[in-house]
Amino acid sequence: MSDVDTRPGAILKNNLWTSNPIFMQVLGICSALAVTNLLTNTAIMTIGVTFVTGFSNLTVSLMKKFMPRKVRMMVQTLIIAFYVIIVDIVLKAYLPEISRNLGPYVGLIITNCIIMGRAEAFAQSNDPIPSLWDGVTSGLGYMGVLMVIAVFRELLGFGTLFGYQILPDAFVPWTIMVMPPSAFFLLGIIIWAGKTAMNREGAPA
Amino acid sequence: MNKEGTLYTVAFIFIVSFAFVFLLSMTNQATIERVRLNEEVARQRAVLSAMGVEATTVDEIRGEFGRIAADEEQGLFARRVDDRTVYAKEFSGAGVWGLITGFLTVTADLEEFVGIEIVDDNETPGLGGRINEPWFKEQFEGQRIPDDGIRVRAGHADPEAGIVDGITGATGTSNAMQAIINRTVEQFRSPDIRARLEELAGQLASGGEV
Repeated sequence: MSDVDTRPGAILKNNLWTSNPIFMQVLGICSALAVTNLLTNTAIMTIGVTFVTGFSNLTVSLMKKFMPRKVRMMVQTLIIAFYVIIVDIVLKAYLPEISRNLGPYVGLIITNCIIMGRAEAFAQSNDPIPSLWDGVTSGLGYMGVLMVIAVFRELLGFGTLFGYQILPDAFVPWTIMVMPPSAFFLLGIIIWAGKTAMNREGAPA
Repeated sequence: MNKEGTLYTVAFIFIVSFAFVFLLSMTNQATIERVRLNEEVARQRAVLSAMGVEATTVDEIRGEFGRIAADEEQGLFARRVDDRTVYAKEFSGAGVWGLITGFLTVTADLEEFVGIEIVDDNETPGLGGRINEPWFKEQFEGQRIPDDGIRVRAGHADPEAGIVDGITGATGTSNAMQAIINRTVEQFRSPDIRARLEELAGQLASGGEV
């Protein structure tokens, strides 16, 4: 892992853009389909993912010296599950409405490939603080793309943003935008746009 | 000590699991009461909303709910609203993708609906999920209950004939709501439930709470 640039700025650029977990690595897209039809839900969900990625990375990095190689995946899963359940409990206790809207998706953060991916690829071989930063920025990269998808889906599907009416009443909502397939189309378009922009920049795609 | 040895590995997993699970149960214990209260308040708000009583803050909800005679076990509720006695009943039934649960309120003489509130559903967002929208629920306020039940038909609303507007593109959900509501009305009419509701209404009169 000596080829990884661990300067904070490099990590930030990498996770938000050059190897964005969603549109470059195409990880964690199951939840990109499920929770992007309302901005509020998307915001809370992605904050949850960012928290879990950050802290599970930190914890994995702190524990890596004591971790036997052959059980490291089990331990990583345990750590991730721990933080996800914390998020779930906090939402249930303090934001019951949102917890109800997100339903099973909070629990499913455990299966978000980005988190395990960062734990295994970064935290396992780097110091705690860069690992925390890497986790947080990966979460932000995920958040950025999902929020963009959610803006289109909520605006065209309900005519609202964060629940506030934006489009006039005469606007006929596009039902397709509320259903999962629209997230596929939008994700495809975003990947296309992102890669095109990257090629123009001359960055390796 | 050999970090890759069996003994170390087993001990490591044991300690780590124990530590994390311990922390989780602590967190859970610390918030369990709050979670239970949230659920209770959400349920009470739904009952009040089905009865047409507005209450937003937790204190308001608690206060207003205190004026209801409730049989939580059977999901039956009675209260006086605007000088009439109304009965609410918890319902649940099959929707298109899953269970639809909520509360239905009728007048004590079973002549009219007072209101309906959906607590939980898994209907398609934007289609069947629109049963949660005010326009759908408001149709039931003051709607006469025909002897052979109401009908839910998209675009053919006719309150006089007992037809409420359904959801275009969500015929399945509209039919499901029709079946659930009519079944709940039948249950209101059954002698056992009737008797229990009258008993609850009696508590209202004698309890002095109203």
